[in-house]
Amino acid sequence: MCEMKHQFPLFGADRECPEPPLPVVGIPRPSKRRVEAWGPRLWPAAPRIPTAVSPAADILFMLSLPFRPRSRPTSILRRLVALSLLAVVALSSTGCRKKAKAQREEGVAVIIPVLRTTFIRNFNPFLESQSRWPTTAGIYEPTVIFNRATGKFIPWLAEAWYWEDDNRRLVLRIRKGVKWADGKELTPRDVDFTFRLMKKFDALDQSSVWSHVSEITVHDQDVAFQFTHPFTLPALYMIGRQPIVPEHIWKDVDDPVRFPNENPIGSGPFNQVLSFKPQMYEIGANPNYWQKGKPGLKKLRLPAIGGNEAQSLALVGGEVDWAAAFLPAIDRIFVAKDPAHHGYWFPSLEGTVMLYANTKKAPFDRVDVRKAISYAIDRELIVRIAMQGYTREADATALSDLYATWHDPKVLAEEGDWTKFDPKKAAALLDDAGLTKGPDGYRRMPDGSPLTVDLNCVVGWSDWIIAAEIMVKNLRAVGINATLRTYAFGAWFNKLQMGDFQLSMSWSDGAATPWSYYRNQMSKDTYRPLGEAAENNWHRFVSERADALLTRFASTSDPEEQHQLSSELQREFVQKAPSIPLFPGPTWGEYNTKFIEGFPNKKHPYASLAPYKAPGQILTMVELRPAGTKPLSDNPGEGAPGEGDITAQKRAEADHEQSPSTPPETAEEGEEK
Amino acid sequence: MKFLLRRLGFYLLAAWVSITLNFFIPRLAPGDPATALQQKFQGKLQPEALEAMKKAFGITNDPLYVQYFEYLKDLAHGDLGVSVAYFPAPVSKVIGLGLLWTLFLAGLSVIFAFTVGTLLGIYSAWNRGGKLDSIAPASFIFLGAFPYFWLAMLLLFVLGFQLGWFPIRHAYTDTLTPAFTWEFISDMLHHAVLPAFSIVLASLGGWLLSMRNTMIGVLSEDYVTMALAKGVPERTVMLRYAARNALLPNVTGFGMALGFVLSGSLLTEIVFSYPGQGTLFFEAVTSQDYFLMQGLFLAITVAVLAANWLVDVAYVMLDPRTRR
Repeated sequence: MCEMKHQFPLFGADRECPEPPLPVVGIPRPSKRRVEAWGPRLWPAAPRIPTAVSPAADILFMLSLPFRPRSRPTSILRRLVALSLLAVVALSSTGCRKKAKAQREEGVAVIIPVLRTTFIRNFNPFLESQSRWPTTAGIYEPTVIFNRATGKFIPWLAEAWYWEDDNRRLVLRIRKGVKWADGKELTPRDVDFTFRLMKKFDALDQSSVWSHVSEITVHDQDVAFQFTHPFTLPALYMIGRQPIVPEHIWKDVDDPVRFPNENPIGSGPFNQVLSFKPQMYEIGANPNYWQKGKPGLKKLRLPAIGGNEAQSLALVGGEVDWAAAFLPAIDRIFVAKDPAHHGYWFPSLEGTVMLYANTKKAPFDRVDVRKAISYAIDRELIVRIAMQGYTREADATALSDLYATWHDPKVLAEEGDWTKFDPKKAAALLDDAGLTKGPDGYRRMPDGSPLTVDLNCVVGWSDWIIAAEIMVKNLRAVGINATLRTYAFGAWFNKLQMGDFQLSMSWSDGAATPWSYYRNQMSKDTYRPLGEAAENNWHRFVSERADALLTRFASTSDPEEQHQLSSELQREFVQKAPSIPLFPGPTWGEYNTKFIEGFPNKKHPYASLAPYKAPGQILTMVELRPAGTKPLSDNPGEGAPGEGDITAQKRAEADHEQSPSTPPETAEEGEEK
Repeated sequence: MKFLLRRLGFYLLAAWVSITLNFFIPRLAPGDPATALQQKFQGKLQPEALEAMKKAFGITNDPLYVQYFEYLKDLAHGDLGVSVAYFPAPVSKVIGLGLLWTLFLAGLSVIFAFTVGTLLGIYSAWNRGGKLDSIAPASFIFLGAFPYFWLAMLLLFVLGFQLGWFPIRHAYTDTLTPAFTWEFISDMLHHAVLPAFSIVLASLGGWLLSMRNTMIGVLSEDYVTMALAKGVPERTVMLRYAARNALLPNVTGFGMALGFVLSGSLLTEIVFSYPGQGTLFFEAVTSQDYFLMQGLFLAITVAVLAANWLVDVAYVMLDPRTRR
């Protein structure tokens, strides 16, 4: 046994003992006593027991250190461990105390409308995507709101509207008795000012209103918009959704585009900024709101949450009352945690997700080839696997539930079966088109050259990628040599805009009327040649018939004629198959009725549940109330009393077919899911 | 002194190079900020709005070199531009939001991990084969092998969500207002425990191991044996003779780590919704916010260079040989 090991710990047990040092005259060996003197302070005696102790015993010893009686001299390490444990326990106990204290106050709703990691104080209603929720519809208000769930236009700051001058002029009658937060009256002058400001600073004109409007005039309570062409329902959507700002405040703003508007003076149901921190802000209710008895809540609290995981935990833990999250297996993960209070509603109120075929590239210039591709796709599988069953299969009109009032099933019955899964029919159509199979089992172009097809998708959009993978498999099954190509968003979108693709997945428009929807699908107005960036109509399809129908649609204010034209547009789409609809895009919305009630859901679809959908969110916002209180109105989602579309009523009177407007359905709201 | 001045000159050059790269790299990536906004909204944004927004952000089609000189000019005036993701707030203001929280969280955890890791490294090298030495390096390396955000998620889920001992998000309780009171400070510390712990847990092993290994090399030096033989107190030998010489590589690493503190512990901050630089960075990248990215990179670059210069100073103090 080597003695050095005991005297000099630096020659560890795992090492060979060094040669005994040569006796050097004059240098004294360190004494045993000295070693003992420092040893225990560094480390208790145990570690210097050299060998013959198993590692398991070592671990046990380490773990036992903090709990051993203090009979030995305390080592630095032990003090450290004990101290940090103490600190952790102390901190967590203070935390527990706080948690018990921080119960929800009455009338406070916690909402996560969008994922955001840090908040910057910005309440500029012209910058819809940059300002804090609910600036555009909540702090400020629009004049007319399109209710996405019911498809109706709801009078808001404008109590009525009508068209004049052969539908070249839209007149909004502004409501009286609406007050700004500083007590001043909201007047038609403010509406006029808002739009004039958008003319002066075109960066504010996010709906491009001034490309259609030539002049605005004010007369009493009426604001008249003169258009350069007949423009009906689509104009109402475009103009109605613009939030109105007070002239007496904004006329002094030098650069409204870069104005953060930190202390907003709004007219909306929640127009008080109570507190603002980068990680949370609170918006208080308007005590003098023009809709009597509303809103039902005192405060909206918005915590900054940047990630899906954090949002899911907050939802599942019951901390949040209203959110818009994609949760997989939501019934098991979320609803089952508290079935009495947790609920969700994912209506398909976005535009339809499409497979775009570049109609300027052979063989996709042929209707029958596009229809054949559509027949080959197994949409049922896509909806079930890629979309987790949260939506439905698209039909051949490509209209989502957002356009439910316009949808015409008769058109579908005629020749709209090309969205059914039918590989045999697909193969037959492709054979007829001259795309016959070669010896390798893949189809050739009519001239014999090989046909290879790239299907573009975005990196990281996992639901779309799964859908695209299913489609690639489907296409290969009918002999089309297809490959999935994924690109980063920028590159993918650039290819789409420039027309540099064969097949590509993408979204489609989600506005109020089929006019803008089919305009983006089939109109020469949205068409751009290959190599030039197209904002829409990426598949580059033009139908003259559709253009004629679209012009007529925008020129008439007769709902019956509009519906007829809408059906014709659908027929045109179904016949020509400009693009291949896959599934309507769902909107996300979850709620928790433990503290707050009044949310729309499948049973009471009075408005959209998605909190990020401006301006429709305000319809939901004003109906929310503390749990256990009475509903605030008999007709939620119908807005404040107003005559609405006077033109239609006048026509109805003239036709002597006036049926009194259907009484609002009295929705019983107490028993939600 | 001359040595330090020479190093300073080198760092100025490095700063210019990084500022230039900082300008060009984001612009080489495909897409532009407005396109990124389109992505965020998955087409729920009207095309007209996109055009309007490009105007608002001041996205121009000037040739790159014109933009570059504009950028240098603005930089000299301390103008970092306007953030796109947090429009219309200036970049400097946005960075200011996260800076203190990141310095607090990541700075403290790096210092803590460095101190504890190095001390443990010294002890385990000194007592090679002892209990500490046979357990600590192995177990900390084991923990460090996990991705740190995974550890963070695990801690968040078990200690935060299931047991409820610690808050699962943010830097302080939402209902509190920042103030210099015990209530707020304890609350802030309580919120920092989990994220800091996850960073420390993941990085401790590296410090420990590198310190231990260098120290073992130093321990076999003659002067250590000599000192021991002369009867110098062993603690003095351990700390002043062995550890001081073995410390240099770790100090270099520490300087780098301190510099990178400003980049935030990206994923940790995202997991805990901690309002620091990391979350800003994430936001900037996902919205292709060049201006914010540039600002953040600039802050990181300056911090790394400054930290490295400080390390040089520390070298001079620790190792007389570098003074020549």
